[in-house]
Amino acid sequence: MIITCSKEHGIGVIQVSHALTAATVDSFREQLLNWQSAEPAVKNYVIDLKQVDFMDSAGLGTLIAALKRISEQGGDMKIACLQKKPRMVFEITRAYKVFEICDTVDEALKMFK
Amino acid sequence: MKAVFYTAEALLWAEKLGETPWPLLPVANRPLLDYWLETCAELGISRVQVILGEGAEQVEEFAGTGDRWGLEIQYSFARASEQPLDYLRATSDRWTDGLFFIGGAFFLRRRQAYKSAGLKTMEACLHGNSDQPHFLYGKNGSEVKTLLDGNPGSKRGLEQAHIHPYVIDDIPAYFDLNMKMVAGEFSRYLTAGFSNTKGSSVGYNVMTPPSAHLRSPLIIGNDCRFGIMSTIGPKAVVADHVIVDSRTTLTNCLILQDTYIGRNLEIENKIVSGNRLISAIDGTAIKIDDSWLVARNRPDMRTEDLVRYIILWFLALALALVQVVPFCILYPLVWVTRIGAYRREVFHDPRTGFVTLPIFQKLKNRKSVVYRLFRAATLDRFPWLLLALRGRLFVCGHPPMRHPADDEVIKQLSQYYPAVFSYADYSRDSDRLVDSLWYAHIRSLFEDVKILIKSLLYRFFRGGSK
Repeated sequence: MIITCSKEHGIGVIQVSHALTAATVDSFREQLLNWQSAEPAVKNYVIDLKQVDFMDSAGLGTLIAALKRISEQGGDMKIACLQKKPRMVFEITRAYKVFEICDTVDEALKMFK
Repeated sequence: MKAVFYTAEALLWAEKLGETPWPLLPVANRPLLDYWLETCAELGISRVQVILGEGAEQVEEFAGTGDRWGLEIQYSFARASEQPLDYLRATSDRWTDGLFFIGGAFFLRRRQAYKSAGLKTMEACLHGNSDQPHFLYGKNGSEVKTLLDGNPGSKRGLEQAHIHPYVIDDIPAYFDLNMKMVAGEFSRYLTAGFSNTKGSSVGYNVMTPPSAHLRSPLIIGNDCRFGIMSTIGPKAVVADHVIVDSRTTLTNCLILQDTYIGRNLEIENKIVSGNRLISAIDGTAIKIDDSWLVARNRPDMRTEDLVRYIILWFLALALALVQVVPFCILYPLVWVTRIGAYRREVFHDPRTGFVTLPIFQKLKNRKSVVYRLFRAATLDRFPWLLLALRGRLFVCGHPPMRHPADDEVIKQLSQYYPAVFSYADYSRDSDRLVDSLWYAHIRSLFEDVKILIKSLLYRFFRGGSK
């Protein structure tokens, strides 16, 4: 699991590759926390799931935990480029009620303005 | 008249739905093949030939000799290079008394005006293209020959008998057919003994707690369990052996047999088949290896159970050997200081009916290092481990059910494995009934080892403080 973190207009864009499952969530969480520690000024985040082709309940739980942590710090988190298969997991777990989901990263960035 | 069902063709869309061969895919909880055979019985056809492909054993096991429908069924395999029409032409001398042919996933969808008498007076007709017909019907040899030569027969086709020729060529079509059936059409296919009161059909041995909502129209198969505050319907087709956990909503969906649906989920416009989740809109399918969401229930596991039992017995022996010395030292201390003691309670037993088991109870509510050590090392379960070694308890399984407190739970368990360790040892908010049903279906060596390790660790870190 490799995540690519960048900053656009003061918003953290986290690009996730591969599946977000029980096997990869620890690595995701660790890399995200490291980047957050290095960039304390960043409050808002966009999670780009364009390359994520599968997600299970552990992956979803990690995203919810990240959203909770970011919200507690006064920020917000949006999901972008959700693919068909992970979208089905979002649908059955009602996660679409928890997250704001955008079709593209640009759309998500615009929503912060 | 003879009937021929050509099931040798592989259908890619059906493979997404799991291991069930496509002729046995359920339409409103009845296999497609069942409808075909029922139609044969209505037409007065007595001899049926089923041309088999993949899943031949299952198809043959389902239809058998055809006695159930009053038919005589013969089976054969298709030649690799032979198309159904080639076969029918090559054997045209066999159809002198007429032919009723279905090739592929084809459903005779009855319209409201349908009457079985209409089928018998139907003119010769053909559906599908002339190379690969889905349906062909001729009352005598010359009619069949004309159709096989490429003449489509009656222009109205099956519609003359108020039957819609429904070709199931993808997942959305299959889903749509099931939704049409649950919306009310299934009553057109009911045979004696069935009832469609208030647009609902509920099978045998279906357990619903008072807080579960069943909203018609819906179709529920046999041996299903619904968790508390679950909502089933409207427009839900639930097949046999399905467990739906608490607070889950099923609407406009199709749940195929042997499926477990996890807690607090929302299934809408989806087909769930075991651990496969399929979109009813575009047929996108995913296989989820996450038993908290959806999973497959496993029906028969006798050999696995035996292997599991033997390996777990040796693990219990190792654990008992580790515990014997600490138990002999600590239990006298616990007993002498009157902090805790065993007392006997009556539990259900799968073989003898009832059994008394020693239950360790804290007598005084005061902090004690000895008590904490005793609990943290799981020494309170040492007598149960000895019972497991004697074959009176399982090592991992269901929590032993008290009599009479758990009588209602026991009634709902078809398989009961009273054990030393269970989910309840490390999951405090677990629902006793749903967890027990879940364990009975998912049980495996891996699951048992997981329960054992988690229980020991939980008790080591948390048990001592209780």
